[in-house]
Amino acid sequence: MSNFKKELAEYTKNLNKATQDENLTRAVTRTVKSYRQNVEAAMSQYPHTPALAEEVRTIKDYSMANNKELLERAMQAIESNHGQAFYAEDREAAMNIVKKIVGQGKIIVKGKSMLAEELNLREALQEEGNEVWETDLGEFILQLKNDRPMHILAPSIHVPREQVAEIFSKFFQKEIPADIAEEVSVVREFLREKYFAADVGISGANVVAADTGQIVIIENEGNVRLCTGVPPVHIVIVGIEKLVPTFQDAMKVSEVTWRYANYGAPGYVNIISGPSRTGDIEKVITYGAHGPKEFYVIFVNNGRQAMMSDENYRQALHCLRCGGCMYECPVFQVTAGHYGRTYLSGIGSVWTSFVEGVESAAPMLYTCLRCGRCVERCPMQIDVPKMVGRLRSEVVSD
Amino acid sequence: MTTNKHIPPVLELIRDNIIKYGNPLALNHRQNSSWIKDLDLPAKGEILFYTGGEYQLLPYLEPLLKTMTYIDPAGRTFSLLMGARKLVNFIGIAPEKIFAGMLAKDKDRYNSINYKAAYILKKLGYDLCYDAQGEIYSGALLYELGFWQDLQSYAVRVGQAIRKTQAKTVVCLSPHAAEMFKHVYPQFNEFPELEVKTFVELVWEKRDKLSPIPVDSPVVVHDSCRLARDLGISKEIRDILDSVGVSYVEPIRNKEWTTCCGGPGKMLFPEISKIIAKRRVIELTDTGASKALLACPYCLSSLQGGLNPDKPMVIEDLVEFIYRGVNHNVEL
Ligand code: SF4
Repeated sequence: MSNFKKELAEYTKNLNKATQDENLTRAVTRTVKSYRQNVEAAMSQYPHTPALAEEVRTIKDYSMANNKELLERAMQAIESNHGQAFYAEDREAAMNIVKKIVGQGKIIVKGKSMLAEELNLREALQEEGNEVWETDLGEFILQLKNDRPMHILAPSIHVPREQVAEIFSKFFQKEIPADIAEEVSVVREFLREKYFAADVGISGANVVAADTGQIVIIENEGNVRLCTGVPPVHIVIVGIEKLVPTFQDAMKVSEVTWRYANYGAPGYVNIISGPSRTGDIEKVITYGAHGPKEFYVIFVNNGRQAMMSDENYRQALHCLRCGGCMYECPVFQVTAGHYGRTYLSGIGSVWTSFVEGVESAAPMLYTCLRCGRCVERCPMQIDVPKMVGRLRSEVVSD
Repeated sequence: MTTNKHIPPVLELIRDNIIKYGNPLALNHRQNSSWIKDLDLPAKGEILFYTGGEYQLLPYLEPLLKTMTYIDPAGRTFSLLMGARKLVNFIGIAPEKIFAGMLAKDKDRYNSINYKAAYILKKLGYDLCYDAQGEIYSGALLYELGFWQDLQSYAVRVGQAIRKTQAKTVVCLSPHAAEMFKHVYPQFNEFPELEVKTFVELVWEKRDKLSPIPVDSPVVVHDSCRLARDLGISKEIRDILDSVGVSYVEPIRNKEWTTCCGGPGKMLFPEISKIIAKRRVIELTDTGASKALLACPYCLSSLQGGLNPDKPMVIEDLVEFIYRGVNHNVEL
């Protein structure tokens, strides 16, 4: 069999197996139900949201068309805020910059980032002899389980509490009961030490305001606050598509993102402009007061520019990663992240086509039913079925 | 024939059949138009009745699916399909021979939907024509599966076939065909200008001519993705039911939020497709209704396949249902 056939057969086997996994089906069914209820409640409490989403679509249109200029402006703003800004063409370039800043033998605490998954960042840093900890609870579980995220917002959606207890008992070498509160607390205790021992904190970003150079990170657990606030060095890795012109725009994008991610208001919205500083002694500005002394932002292309310059696919970059489409996808509902690689489900197959190539994306592209319910849900109205059709035509004419 | 290393052979099989025979399973004109019986439909006219051969395909799908479902996806599926492809190259597929598991009652039922649809429209006063010798498949699968290069020349063939009938309006039984005629083919040069209607729309326009249909309990409506989302037709079905005095209920997800029947996944991921169909059937039976109505050949076949023997439900095409509401005493 050719590689493709082998891959497709393997993929199909996995998909079919996933549908038989009762834990997975039960967890996803529960999540879909509560997602639908929560998002409905959030929308009725904040009925201005759809209009705001429309405004965000315009902001995104403008931002994609003017990305180069926004990138320049953002990099300048970051530098003038006493941070350092970089541009990386591809994975290799991005990882070279990260490795150079981090060095070897360091302790790193890390917040959840899809781009980090795309770059295989944790593994690459571990290979350099660093100790890297995922601090998002779901990702921490997956790190111990040696597994990959099954949903962009709820990465360990497929692991029930009993299995978490098993994994934790083995790792912490003591009996951890299948009690969610206890499971949460044991991780809290463990990671607390890591935050303070860490040399470097790494995070992604939801939006970047080009005019002020400010980075916005939305979260619920508070782990991002600690990752980005405690260690002496903070590195942000972010895709170039996350740039918008102004701080005000960034706030609009953020609100729409969390609302469609089913939150009225998320636990925390972090806004970071540069390294921590103080002028309290003799008005002399000194960096690294309580927070990081060094602040780095790495803007990554890795296929995004190509997406941006093709009007048939540009819209896919508008994706806010709210996850709404996945909950409404009939295939995702029974397979979760098995319908995916780094990026999941229909929108994920479009992204995969650019960051990994259409060949890698082919099995995913052909999994889509093209039923179109994702488009109904999507705040950015991304026409995934249309893009999937077009990408299939590229696979076929390859 | 192209052999592409990045697509599964079953897709090439379908493509080759469409290109070679104007039908995804290589059914011929005789097999396609056997439903017509005593209906006297001229080959030319203003309003073209277009089946696209889609309901005619349905009896072959389940047996084909069964063959595929129980074969290890890691191995023999591919050799089976490769074998099927060779058959196409040399002799074309003889579906009756290959899919001996086909049920005669399915064949009769699905074929009769074409008959009933044409009958209903005639009774409602539409002057239909039908091209029994020249009708070819709409090409929807070429579009959906990514064979866009082939679509260029196929569009010409479809255009010619339509032009031959001199029709100004085409009425499609399948929403997939309607989508092609309405949204895809107009982008191609020289495709004939057509008014595109679905069966549902034509019935809706003359719904006041239908007689009441007696039912014991409310029916549940299943909206097809193409019809509801791409063609924006969902209210029309409810209006028709209102006018024949039938009460209906809605499942948890419907209209523009409708849940897919799983049909499009049948060829490549038959097991997943079946699970999705079963889950949609649960959404439908959860309403308490014992009959579901829909207006798409693939939904009909998929949901039929997703039925739970312990929770019986009748899945009916709107065509079959409305057939009861036409006045059979009035001369055609
Ligand atoms: S495609 Fe749309 S719905 Fe899906 S994650 Fe992106 S923004 Fe959300």
